[in-house]
Amino acid sequence: MSAILDIRNLSIELETENGPVRVLDRFNLQLAEGEIHTLVGESGSGKSLLAKAILGFINPRWKITADRLWWRHYDLLALNAAQRRIVTGRDMAMIFQDPSSYLDPNDKVGAQLRESIPTGELSGVYLKRRVDRQTRAERLLHRVGIKDTADVMERYPHELSEGLAQKISIAMAIAHNPKLLIADEPTTAMEPSTRGQIYRLLAKLSAGQGMSILMITQDLTAVIPESQRISLIYCGQLMETGPTEEVMQKPYHPYTDAMLSMSLSDQDIAPKTRLPTLSGAIPTLQHMPIGCRLGPRCPYARRACIHQPALTKQQQVQFACHYPLHKDSEHD
Amino acid sequence: MTKLLDVQAISKYYVHKDGWMPGQRICALEPLSFSLERGETLAIMGETGSGKSTIAKLIAGAERASAGEIFLNGQAMSSMTDQQRCRHVRMIFQDSLRSLNPQITVGKQLCEPLIFNTQMSPQDQKQRVHEVLRKVGLLPDHYHFYPHMLASGQQQRVCIARAIVLEPQIVVADEAFVALDPSIRAQIINLILDLQEDMGISFIFVSHSAEIVKHVSDKILIMHRGKMIEFGTTRALINHPEEQLTKTLLHSEHKYKVPLHSTTKE
Repeated sequence: MSAILDIRNLSIELETENGPVRVLDRFNLQLAEGEIHTLVGESGSGKSLLAKAILGFINPRWKITADRLWWRHYDLLALNAAQRRIVTGRDMAMIFQDPSSYLDPNDKVGAQLRESIPTGELSGVYLKRRVDRQTRAERLLHRVGIKDTADVMERYPHELSEGLAQKISIAMAIAHNPKLLIADEPTTAMEPSTRGQIYRLLAKLSAGQGMSILMITQDLTAVIPESQRISLIYCGQLMETGPTEEVMQKPYHPYTDAMLSMSLSDQDIAPKTRLPTLSGAIPTLQHMPIGCRLGPRCPYARRACIHQPALTKQQQVQFACHYPLHKDSEHD
Repeated sequence: MTKLLDVQAISKYYVHKDGWMPGQRICALEPLSFSLERGETLAIMGETGSGKSTIAKLIAGAERASAGEIFLNGQAMSSMTDQQRCRHVRMIFQDSLRSLNPQITVGKQLCEPLIFNTQMSPQDQKQRVHEVLRKVGLLPDHYHFYPHMLASGQQQRVCIARAIVLEPQIVVADEAFVALDPSIRAQIINLILDLQEDMGISFIFVSHSAEIVKHVSDKILIMHRGKMIEFGTTRALINHPEEQLTKTLLHSEHKYKVPLHSTTKE
């Protein structure tokens, strides 16, 4: 597998008054070209921080260490800020959770969209460039499935519905044909029909032009069928990663299992019965448990869990747990 | 026996106060009627702007209906005072942190409904608050906490505690589960089911998550552009939906189980 994004043992530490806090703990991720990879994590799991680390929106007070943080043939940690900016600007893009708040409220949608088209790709004299820019903006809107381009371009962001606003922000993100699109909870708080539209659009873009997508979500119900691989992250530690179907059908890690049964996607649960839950709350950054951070909430935790388990590989699936839910017998 | 909640032909209009044609009426909710028994859960579903939150607000008393009447145990709600009304109907909001006062402790906030609506002595109030805190799975120690010191799940528990401290008959929850993490959401759903069993509360909740609705509700009401297009028991609506919208709302969640790699092969 040739991964275009290769992350090995990435850790991010924040300096606080009570000493450094490790928000992301030896995280691994490999992303192949044209692949959709879903990253599932609850709030405070460091998933947005990971996105920032990949894109290079880094606060100088964060301490980032990694064995490998490679984007194609660039070692991102070895580049200086200016070089990194060039690489990121050319190859990557990101869309966010609340699209209408990321658009400039003072400016019309059309103007913002035209601004996002890279000037270097336009040629000719002033007037031709201007016309080209306009036609390219229209074509972008067509690509994200907006037909009435003239009307939408004349609107201000607050006049858009949330689904439309997210489509515009996707159009702006794909204006320079990025190789990697990071979607940070693109559809939370959207209603299901709009959500479906956005997911179909992203899947189509990925399939159509070989764009890799790192989809970040909170919930296993939001994992789309087109997503080839999935990673679960809890409090900055990677719990389980592998092909979507295998992880969903036969989870090794107790966390995956708990998330699956809590997502209510199982039709077998009778209405009004109590749901299986993980007891307790998500720990705050200052009070991370040692070892496996799921430990205090895990129903199967035993003494060995105060040491962080290494990643175990079973065929395609990798997981970090001392006591996986089932072991593959040696002889098959 | 009279029904717990009987809504008869309520409607809501908003009136343009200015502009070049003042007095123009905008219909937010067309006349609709439904009823709810004790201990039942009603889910209201619909698209954005379909008037589902308007119904919730009308029942909770945050808005006055333009026409029609809501009966609680056979008594018209418009004839009740606000105090009587909020002893029977309480509300939970989506954003738990923003609906709590950041300046006063959790205990004081829970005492407030008791101070305004009952003649309890301060000792009794404190005791009741401790009881309620334990009921929602918090500790009496949380009495002295400020809202920002709690995790999001605990904040939502405080909101639920505030809703049940007066032992109401109906609790209205407007999108109360959206902002919660999955593991916390499951805990809160369990809590609500437990409370319903213990106290016989009727819940009315607005949601667009088909899974939660199917799991929790007894009856479903589907809204579309201010109109009630379908109302019935959960099982009937899932098995025999009459409207296309009902079908899409109840089944539109993406399912990973569907093998759908066809798009990548094209």
